[in-house]
Parts: sequence; C-alpha cells; structure tokens
Amino acid sequence: MSVRSQLLKGILDGCVLAVIEKEAVYGYELSKKLQDIGLKDVSEGTIYPVLLRLQKNGLIRGELKPSDSGPDRKYYFLTDTGHETLATIIEEWNRISDPVNELLKRR
Amino acid sequence: MDAKKLIEENNRKRELLTAENEAYYSDMLIYIRLQLTLSEQQSEEILMEMLDHLLDGQEEGKTARDIFGNDPKAFADEIIEQLPKEKKRDAITFVAGIVGNIVSWVLIIRGILLLVLSIFTEVKTEINLFATAVSSFSIACFVIFTLWFIFRLVNNSLFNEKRNTKKDMLKAGLVGAAGMAVVLLVTTFTPKIGPSFNFSWWASLITGVVLWLIIYVKKK
Repeated sequence: MSVRSQLLKGILDGCVLAVIEKEAVYGYELSKKLQDIGLKDVSEGTIYPVLLRLQKNGLIRGELKPSDSGPDRKYYFLTDTGHETLATIIEEWNRISDPVNELLKRR
Repeated sequence: MDAKKLIEENNRKRELLTAENEAYYSDMLIYIRLQLTLSEQQSEEILMEMLDHLLDGQEEGKTARDIFGNDPKAFADEIIEQLPKEKKRDAITFVAGIVGNIVSWVLIIRGILLLVLSIFTEVKTEINLFATAVSSFSIACFVIFTLWFIFRLVNNSLFNEKRNTKKDMLKAGLVGAAGMAVVLLVTTFTPKIGPSFNFSWWASLITGVVLWLIIYVKKK
C-alpha cells in the first residue's frame, strides 16, 4: 500500500459522506466525483466495501431510482446519523489537519 | 426489486460484458453467491451495482482489473465481510424440499413403471421396510457427498488462471458414477428382513402426485 493510500484510508469515509451529502449518487458517479476532485488513488472498486459498511452502520441508505441514462440505479442518501457523523468527522479533521499542516510546512 | 428479479437482470446484463471482464466478474459472482449464510437480497444488490459499474467502465475502455484491482478474491472477501448475515433460506425446509421432491418423483415413476410392466408380465409390488430404509439412507449419503464434492471443486477453481474445467467435470462424473455403483450394490445386497407390505401401482402414483402437489403449493 502506498503512503498516500494509507493516509487516505482513515478519511475515505468522510470523503464519501461529503460527496453524498451534496447530492444523492450511485456507485459509478461517486467514484467519478472522487477522482474528479483529485483523489485518483482511490481505485474505483474500493468504494463498494465502504458503501456497504456505511449502510450497515446506518449512515447512508440506498434507494432504487431510475437514472438519467435509463436503467434503475441504487442511489445513496445520507441519514440523520450520517449528517451528524459527517459533522463530527469534519470537526475532528480540522483539529488534526491544522496542526499537521503547521508542523509539516515548518520543515 | 426482489432477489429473483435481480438475478434475472444480472443474467441479461452479463451478456454485454467482454469475454475478459465476464470471466473476472463471474468468478466474483459465484464466490459471493456461494456464501449461503449471507443475505441474498443484499448480495444480489451489490452484485448488480458492481455489474453496472463495470459496464459503464467498459464503455470507457476500462477493464475489470482497472476497476476492482488485481486481486479479485481479496476484493470479494472485503465485500463479503461487509455484507449482513441472514440465512438465505431455512436450511431444514431447503433440504426437506429436495428430499420430498426426489421421493415424490420416485413414487410417481414407480407407479407408472409398475402399471406399464404389469401389462406384459407379473410384477411384485411388495415393499420391504428394512431394505427400503437402507437404500434411502445410502441415496441420501450419496447426494450429500456428491453435492459437497462439487461445491469444493467449484470453490477451488475460482480465481484460478490455470483451471481445467474438463478435468473437474471428469472428476465430478467419476465421483457420481462411483457413488451410484455403491448405492446399487447396497440396494442389491441388502437382505429383505422384517415386515413387508403391498404397495400397488396406483397407491404409489397417487401418493407421489399428492406429495409433489404439496411441495409445489408450499413453494409458491
């Protein structure tokens, strides 16, 4: 595992939740959005175990809806718990990232 | 959409995959479906999502390897770990259904055979309890062992680049034939001791049909 993917692993849940909060997406869209934003190291398939886990923990729920391109797709929405958890993740991330940035920039 | 519909749609959509992607995806599909303790609905839903994703990627020239990684087994294991457990079907009703089905067909075929044969020759319609119990038991053992063996063959061949399907089929065929031979030997050499009773062709046929109908209605 590369350094970058190791670093990403801990915050991937937060990234996925943040994308879904903006707009309900299906799997393929989600992986596109993560890559478009610059997270190219997230291999596309890795979002599926993440989606299943978030679903199991009640942070997101899937709903079958017709997509623009025709066939029904499973779209993911944030639940109330999901919103709360995302807020916590953002808060914690800021608490870590500011000092870490400070520290690493000083070199 | 229930699991059955998802499976049908999956079968239809899989035909759109390239040969390479199909081989990769199908191994994952069989591997995940063989986990009989997982929720069938959830398994089929995630399989459909991954198939849709693969089809979208395929249009952009990506392969299954690009999307799901170079280690399909490890990826499938990660999926399996996150899928909720829930018995796909009650094991007892499942086995009882299969056994009932076999017994009903045996009774129906026996009824028809005795009827047809009795036109040409005299037939014995006696049934010996002990001999019947012994042969039923050996058939049950044979079915369970053969199923277990095939299950293991399939699981070992998945994700294996150098698999040899013909050799596996030959192995399954040999085990099946050997098992049948054992069942036939046991049936032939079991002594007819203890009580016997008469079981005519029409009694056999009616019992078989009634049993089959009960199973059919229950399944619906």
